[in-house]
Amino acid sequence: MDSHAISELLIKMIRRTVPELADHAIGRNDAMADLGVDSIERSEIIIATLETIGLEVPMVQLHGPRNIGELADRIHAKQTP
Amino acid sequence: MQKRVGIEAMNLYGGIASLDVLALCRHRGLDMPRFENLLMEEKTVALPYEDPVTFAVNAARPLIDQLSPEELARVEMVITCTESGIDFGKSLSTYLHPLLNLPSNCRLFEVKQACYSGTVGVQMAVNFLLGQTSPGAKVLVVTTDISRFALADSSAVQEWAYSEPSSGAGAVAMLLSDTPHIFAIDTGAYGNHAFEVMDTCRPGPDTEAGDADLSLMAYLDCCAGAFTDYARRVEGADFRETFDYLSFHTPFGGMVRGAHRHLMRKLYKADPDEIDADFEHRLRPSLAYGKRMGNSAGGALYVALAGTINTVPPLTDPVRIGLFSYGSGCCSEFFSGTVTPDGQSRLQGMNIPNALERRYPLTIEQYETLLSGDQVVRFGTKDAKLDCGIIPEVWPQAGDGKWLFLDAVDGYHRKYSWA
Repeated sequence: MDSHAISELLIKMIRRTVPELADHAIGRNDAMADLGVDSIERSEIIIATLETIGLEVPMVQLHGPRNIGELADRIHAKQTP
Repeated sequence: MQKRVGIEAMNLYGGIASLDVLALCRHRGLDMPRFENLLMEEKTVALPYEDPVTFAVNAARPLIDQLSPEELARVEMVITCTESGIDFGKSLSTYLHPLLNLPSNCRLFEVKQACYSGTVGVQMAVNFLLGQTSPGAKVLVVTTDISRFALADSSAVQEWAYSEPSSGAGAVAMLLSDTPHIFAIDTGAYGNHAFEVMDTCRPGPDTEAGDADLSLMAYLDCCAGAFTDYARRVEGADFRETFDYLSFHTPFGGMVRGAHRHLMRKLYKADPDEIDADFEHRLRPSLAYGKRMGNSAGGALYVALAGTINTVPPLTDPVRIGLFSYGSGCCSEFFSGTVTPDGQSRLQGMNIPNALERRYPLTIEQYETLLSGDQVVRFGTKDAKLDCGIIPEVWPQAGDGKWLFLDAVDGYHRKYSWA
């Protein structure tokens, strides 16, 4: 799955985890924290995304990206060693 | 037959003053639309005349007072577990020793590994007891931590913002022996997971720094890793079936729920309804006291264990409780033990909820007065005299001479008094 598809999946999981954002425009340049997604919700969004694409990687290795696009890039990089 | 060791007696101390956490979040202008998901209510706030020693002694004294002279003579080790130390060399346990009238043939020391420290203390005690080097001995393990991190300079409140609502205070005293009335440890049943990470730390005596996301991620990795190691050691262990109840280290309840959900997805692909029902049944009781004290660091897991034992429905048979301990930096452990109906009624006899109920509810203004720290004895203070009237309403009214406070510091030596 390429980085663009992963970011689409992340956005789908964001809308599923935080129903208040169902109709909110969300893009790769958005940061989850700025959208009002709290730290517990952020971890659940990442876990659900990893589960869907069947990737097992320590969560701490996904720390650091500043927005959804960077997070998708990081997950993509972990997917293709 | 394998020797049984574990917790013979246990008590927790949640201070004399509390703060409404939602009011604090509003005051700080934190936008938390789903605050209720974080499962926080109140936190304990330490007064200037309270320190890690007074917290520890106020937790331990009710246990010590119950011992006969013969039993007291068998307390041969005191392990204080803390990340709130008051001296680089002298351990808190040396202060506890005279205040609790402990015997002189006693091993005194302190351990540190962030919020994992209580489990270090418990496992050191367990292994000393299992080793049979002094048959019949008892070990006093006391976790004690307080948080006052706004003291360093004007920017310290911002630095601390990520964890101010959850940072509490508290102490848990546990007497471990070969008569584990409260909680018998499952010998050899444990798993560890550790790696180096800079998630939260206390880089100076009055400062804390950290990253909430990274800490949560490390906690989640450790919960899965430590249970996997436990399952490797314990034949047939099953997260869903082996434990009647669970108690996790609790920075705040939302983190516990996140870790539980993560494990139930990872191990069983459980659906959300099953996960929620399992959380309500097996983990919700563990939050009973922690949601009122805030994160008590080294003792938070044992605050959760006390909540589980005391607030699950009356036991008719022994039950097994799975424990997850995590300390930033980081090290973690999953282990287990059993509690009997007798253990439940003994712990309920400590009247823990009444003591929490008696705490004075601080206003935001009073809390801010304490945060400014004018009265606080900083690390390295040589001489001081404490003002017990800083917030007159808080001072305990019992007056039975069984409550300890910090009175003065004389040549670096802390002087305590009973009220």
